[in-house]
Amino acid sequence: MNNYKNKISYDSPCDSDNDWTNSSDDSKYSDSESSVPEWDSDVSEDGELVYIKTKINNETTDETKPPLLESCETFKLRNNFKRSSTRRSTKGRIFKVLKAHKSKNPDTGSKREHEGLPAASINKNKFNGDKFIIIQVSKNMIFSSEKNCQLEKLFGLSLETHADGKTLVVADFLTEAKLIYTPKIKKGYYLSKINGVEVNSYNINNILQRIIEDHNSPRLTFQMPTEGSYIDLERLLKLKNAPENSLTQLLKDSLCSVLYLCCNDIEYNSNDDKGVLYCYPRPFNQNFLYNTRGAYVTLNHLAPKSLGTSEPTNSTVLHNNTLINITYTSHYNDLLLTAFPNKQVDLFAAKKVIADIVRLLEFLYGSLKACFTKPNNVDKLDSLFSRIFVTLIINNKGSKEDGSKNVGLYLEDTLAAHSVTLPLEVKVQVDDAIAELESADYREWTDDIENFQRLYTVIGACLYYSGHLLSSHLQDEDLKEINAYLRLNGVLKLSTDKELEKLVMWKEVFIHEHRNQNKNEGNEYRVLDGRWFLLTVGKGHFILSTLMEAGGCTEDAVGITPPSPFYVEECESCLELLYDVGLHKYLGTWFCSNTQPQVETSPEYLTKYGRKIRDTNTLRPDSTLKTSTLKLTKSLSEKRRHNSSEQINVGSSNSDMNSLTNYGSHHSLYVHTYNTQKYRNSSLDVSYSEDSNSLKSNSEVSEERVQGRRADREQRNRRDSSGSDSDWERLDGSRASGSMDMSDIRKSLLNEMNHVTTHRITAGEENVLFHFVQLESEKGMLIAPVKNIEMQANNVLYSYILKTFRSACKQIHDLLQHSIRFKKNHAPSNPLNKILVAVKEHGMLFQAPLETLSQCGVNKKNTEPYLFWVVGRVFSDPEPRELYLCYHESVPQDLTEVAYLLSYLE
Amino acid sequence: MSVIVIAVATESGVPIFSRKRGNNESVQFSTIASLHGINMFSKCHNLSLIETQVDNGSILWKEYCKRFIFSVTLIGIATGGLECDLELLLSSVNDAMIFCVGKKELENLKNIDQIKRDLRQCYPILDYLLESLDPNAVSSPLPTLLLDLIQSILCPQAHQLQQALDNYAESVTGRWACLIIHGHLVATSSDFCELDPREARLMLLLAAAQDGAPLRDTPVYFPQMSPNVAFRAVTCKLLADVYILVVCGATPALSQIDEIVLQCWEGYASIIKEAKLGFPRNFPMSITFEPCVLGVLIVNINKRRCVFSRHLHPSNQKGRGMSGAHRMDILRTFYITTARELAPELKHKGPSNGIENMTETYWCSEYHKCHAQRLGNILCCGLYASSVQLHTIRLITNQILQDLNTNKDVYW
Repeated sequence: MNNYKNKISYDSPCDSDNDWTNSSDDSKYSDSESSVPEWDSDVSEDGELVYIKTKINNETTDETKPPLLESCETFKLRNNFKRSSTRRSTKGRIFKVLKAHKSKNPDTGSKREHEGLPAASINKNKFNGDKFIIIQVSKNMIFSSEKNCQLEKLFGLSLETHADGKTLVVADFLTEAKLIYTPKIKKGYYLSKINGVEVNSYNINNILQRIIEDHNSPRLTFQMPTEGSYIDLERLLKLKNAPENSLTQLLKDSLCSVLYLCCNDIEYNSNDDKGVLYCYPRPFNQNFLYNTRGAYVTLNHLAPKSLGTSEPTNSTVLHNNTLINITYTSHYNDLLLTAFPNKQVDLFAAKKVIADIVRLLEFLYGSLKACFTKPNNVDKLDSLFSRIFVTLIINNKGSKEDGSKNVGLYLEDTLAAHSVTLPLEVKVQVDDAIAELESADYREWTDDIENFQRLYTVIGACLYYSGHLLSSHLQDEDLKEINAYLRLNGVLKLSTDKELEKLVMWKEVFIHEHRNQNKNEGNEYRVLDGRWFLLTVGKGHFILSTLMEAGGCTEDAVGITPPSPFYVEECESCLELLYDVGLHKYLGTWFCSNTQPQVETSPEYLTKYGRKIRDTNTLRPDSTLKTSTLKLTKSLSEKRRHNSSEQINVGSSNSDMNSLTNYGSHHSLYVHTYNTQKYRNSSLDVSYSEDSNSLKSNSEVSEERVQGRRADREQRNRRDSSGSDSDWERLDGSRASGSMDMSDIRKSLLNEMNHVTTHRITAGEENVLFHFVQLESEKGMLIAPVKNIEMQANNVLYSYILKTFRSACKQIHDLLQHSIRFKKNHAPSNPLNKILVAVKEHGMLFQAPLETLSQCGVNKKNTEPYLFWVVGRVFSDPEPRELYLCYHESVPQDLTEVAYLLSYLE
Repeated sequence: MSVIVIAVATESGVPIFSRKRGNNESVQFSTIASLHGINMFSKCHNLSLIETQVDNGSILWKEYCKRFIFSVTLIGIATGGLECDLELLLSSVNDAMIFCVGKKELENLKNIDQIKRDLRQCYPILDYLLESLDPNAVSSPLPTLLLDLIQSILCPQAHQLQQALDNYAESVTGRWACLIIHGHLVATSSDFCELDPREARLMLLLAAAQDGAPLRDTPVYFPQMSPNVAFRAVTCKLLADVYILVVCGATPALSQIDEIVLQCWEGYASIIKEAKLGFPRNFPMSITFEPCVLGVLIVNINKRRCVFSRHLHPSNQKGRGMSGAHRMDILRTFYITTARELAPELKHKGPSNGIENMTETYWCSEYHKCHAQRLGNILCCGLYASSVQLHTIRLITNQILQDLNTNKDVYW
C-alpha cells in the first residue's frame, strides 16, 4: 500500500533539537510551524517545568462511565501527530503506516467535544443541608419519555449519580416539565427526598415503584449544592509562588502542619527561630506544631537516651477537640514533624504517609537536610506541602453531609502503588511501548550515530492509567519514590478526575541508588556521579513517568537543565502509541468489566433470597440486561449534550424496556460484566454512523494479501465483524486504519474484549470473592480491583463489606508486620513479640447488620446471618507478599491456593 | 519486654513512686522530671498528649482525679514488643492506689511523704499488675494473666460453696465474700456481683498480696462504690492456697471472726478439697475437650471473668513441643491483640478502628492456630495444633461454647 512510501520521508535526526518538530510535511500539529513547544514559556528559571492542560468539558471521573460514554470522546480521530518518526523497531512499521494513513484523513471528529456539555460542573465536595426546595409534581401528568424511563415519565427530569456514587443529581429536564422546575431548580441540584423519604441511587427504584402505586402527587425535595472546599489541584501544581493566603488559612484550620528543626547547638543558636528551619502553614506563632514543638523535641531526645526505647515514631494529641496524629522523623540531629487530623489521616495512614513524604523529599532534594536548607526554596516547599495536604486532606473529605462517614484515605493508596491485572496481550503491548521508549534506538533516524551523543539515558519508566499503575520498568525503590511523587503532588488524582490534554513535568531528582551509595565509598560498581531527571507526561488518563540519567555515556548536564523537547516528544509519542492501539478505550472498558479476577459486586445474591432474585432474573430472557433507568438516563443525557443534533436513541429504548421489567429487583446501576457487550452494542452504533467517511476501511483490509495463520485469523475476524458483536470491529474501521498490521493488533486486543473470560480465584461454584489486595511491599506495588469498584457496584451491602474490609486489613496488616520484620532482620535492635512474629495468617469473620441487608432488599424475616471473612496472609518467600481477601463465608478458601491462582492472572 | 509505671504529683512534680518490670534500668529522677515537664508544657498549650508510640512500644501520660487541682499524673512506658493496653494498666494502677489509700487522700496530697508511705502497701498489688503483662511470669505460682478479667476456676461445687459463703458473710455482718483457690476465684456470695468487676479483681490481688497470713484485715476503698469511705476486708487462709475473703463492718473483732470461720467452714473441707482438685484444669470434669485443643481461654463477658486452661486432657501428653506457659502466653496475646475485638464492651473508649460486628477471628502461625468465637455472653479462645484445619477448629470452638452453655456443672 501507498503508506509504505511515507516511511522514506522520515528524516528527523536527533542531532538538533529543532529538527524534530517541522521535519515532516505530514505533521498537522497546530504548533508544528514554530519550533518552540507550547510548554516552553512555562519552563521556570531553574529548568523545572509543570505544564498542564486539561480538557475543559470533562467534569467527572471518566472510568465510572460505561464504555458508551467514553466512545464519544475517543472517536475523534487523532491526526495530530507531531513527529513523523515514531517507532522504528520491528513493530514500529505498523504505526508509521497508520500515521501516514491518518494524515490523509481530514479532521472529522475532534471538533465535537468542544460543543456539548454545558458548564454543569458539579461541586463535588460538600453541601450543607440548609437549602431545600420542594416541588410537587401532579400525578396526572405523564411526561412522554422517549427513553421510556420511569423517572422521566413521572417527574419529567433525568438524573445522574453524583461522584460519590450515591447522591442523585438533576441532569436535565424534559421540555414539557421544564416550566415546573425552572427557575427554582437548576441542573446540578441534588434530589434529596421524595415524599419526605430520603432517596439515593440505591433505593430510587424502590421508591419510584412506590410512587407509581401511590395515588397522591409526589413531592420532590431538592437541595442546592453549595460551594465546597474543593481545591483546584491543577492550579496548585502550576503554582510557582507561594500558595495564597486563603489556602494557607484553610490548611491552618484543618490542623495539618509540618515543621523541620535542627537540634544541634550551633545551628540552634545561630538561627533566629530557635532552630526552626521550616514551618508550614505560617505564621509561626499561629502554627500549633510550632508552639508545642518543645514537647516533641524533648521527647525525641529523652526516649532513646533516658528511657532506653527507640525514638518516638508518632504521637496522638488532642488539640481544640481534634484528634491529631503527629509523626517524628529524625535526620541526624534534626527532626521533621508533621501533623494530620485523625479524621482524614488516621494513625495507620499517617505512618505510611510520612514514609512517603520523606521518600518524596529525599527524591526531590537528595536529603532532608538539603531539602530544608536549600536557599530560596521556601516558596517551592510551601507549594509542595500545600499540594500534599490538599491531596491528603482537603480533597479527601467525605462528600456526604453526615460527617461521621468519612472517606479518609484509600487503604490501597496508602500501602503502595495500586496496580491492576491486565491480560497478557495487553501487558505485552504496554511493556513493549515502554521498552521502546527506554531502548532509545535511534539508529534509523540518523546515519551519523557516531557524531550524535545522547543527552540522557532512560533508566526506567512507569505508566499509570487513571491512578492505576499499568507497568513499571523501574527499580523498586525508584518506583516507590516516583509513586509518592505523583500521588502526593496530586498528579494521579488529577489524571483520574480529569482528562488531560497535555501534561509535561520536568524535575531534577536524586535517585535512591545514588543517594545511598555515597556512604560506602570505593565500590567497584558504583553509580556514576551524574544527574537524574524525572520527566512526566500525561495524556487523557495516562501518566507516563520516565527517569533519565545524564552523565556517563551521555552528555553531562551542566547548570540549569530545562527539559529537552526531543525527549518530551519521545514520551508523548510513547503515549500516542498506546492511543493508537486503542489502549485508552480498551482500559476504559476493562476498568468497568470487573473480570480479572471477577469480584462479586452484588453480595446479596449469595443469600437464599438473593439467589431467588437472580434466578427469576435469569429466567426471563430479556432481563439479563441489568441496566437501570438511572444510569441510562445519565449516559443518554450526556450523550445528547455531546451531539444534540443527532438522533441517538437507536438501541436505548429496548434496553429501557428491559430495565423496566426487572424494575426494583436489583440495585446495580451498572451493567454486569456479561452484559457489557450488548449494552455497548446499542449505543455505539451512534458513533459509528458519525464516522461515515471511514466505512471503506474494511474493504481496504480485504485488499491486503495475507497468508497462513494470520490470514485465517483475519478471515475469522472479518466474519466476526459482520456478526452480532461487531462494534469493535466497525469501530476500528471508523478509526481509519487502512493498514493490515494495525487492525491486526487492535483485533487481538479487542477480540479479547469480546469474549472476556472472567477469572475466578476463589473455590466453589459461585463467586464468593468480594475484594482482594495483594501487596508486595518490597516492590511498592499492590494488586486490587479498580478503585471505583465500589461505585460500579453501587450497592449498600457491598460498600459496607468494603468498608469493613479496609479497616480489618489495617489491623491484619499491622499484625503481619511482626512476621515480616522478623524475617527481614533476625536480631532486631528492639526485641519483637515472640508470639506475634510467628503469625502468618489472620482472619476475621464479620456479620453484616440487618439494616444494611434490608436496604439491599433482603428483608425476609428468617434470613440466615450474612457472614463474610476478611483474611490476610503473608508469604515470606522470596520477598514478603501479603494477600488480603474478602469473601463470603459459604465456601472456605485456602489463601495459598488463591494466591497461586492470582499469580496466574498477573 | 519492659514496663515502667511512674506516679508524679501533678502540681509539684514530686515523684510518688516508680515501679518497673523487665530488663530495663530504673528511670532517673531527671528523666521523670522531663517526662512530667513534657506533659505540663503541652497542657499549657491546650494540647493533651494522648499516646506516643515508639518502635515496639509506647509512652502514655494519664491524669486522674481531674476535678481537683492537686492530683496524680501517671506515666507508663512499655517497650520490647510487649502487647498490652497501657491505658488499661494505668487506670488499673490508679484503681489500686485508690483501693489502698482512698480517693480523698490522693486528691488532697497534703502530705506527699505520708502518701508515699501509705502507697507502699499497694506495691505488691501494683507488682502483680505489672507481672500480669510479663510473658516470663506466666508460670509463676499465682498467675495474673489479664489486667481486666478475674481469673476463675469453674467447678460444680461452686453452688454449694456459694451457700456457705452467704452464710459466712451473714455471720460476720458482711455482704461480699468469695473463695479463692490458687489465686483463682472459685465461688462468690450471691451479692458479690454488686461489686464492680475491677473492684473484685483488686480484692483478689489483695488476697494474693497477703499470701501467708492466716487471718488479716485491711481497710480498703472501692474505687467505684465508695472511694472515700473505707471498708474492712478480711482474708482468711482455710487450707494451703485456699483463702476466703469477706468485706464487712468493723464489729466482729478478728478473734471473733476466727471462731466464726471455724464454725462456718468446718463442714465444707471436703467440698473445698474437691474443688481444689479442679486446679489446674480449671474446668469441671464433665466438660471434655478434643485432643487437638492445646489450651483454652473462656471469658464471661458480663462478669468479666475468665478461665484459662492448658491441662485439658487427663493423660498428660507433654510431648507437643510447646511448654504450658508458652501456651498461656499465646492465648493471652491472642486475646489482647485480637480476640478482644469480639467483645467491644470490654474495651474502653478510644478512637474506633472501624471494626464492628465481628463474630469470629483466628490466627495461623507456624506452630499453632488460635480461634475465637463469641456466643452470647461467652467468648471462647482456643489454641489448636497447627495441623488442624480451620473448619474443624470452627466446629470445635462452637462445640465448646455450646457445651459451656448447656453444662449444668458450669456455675459462673
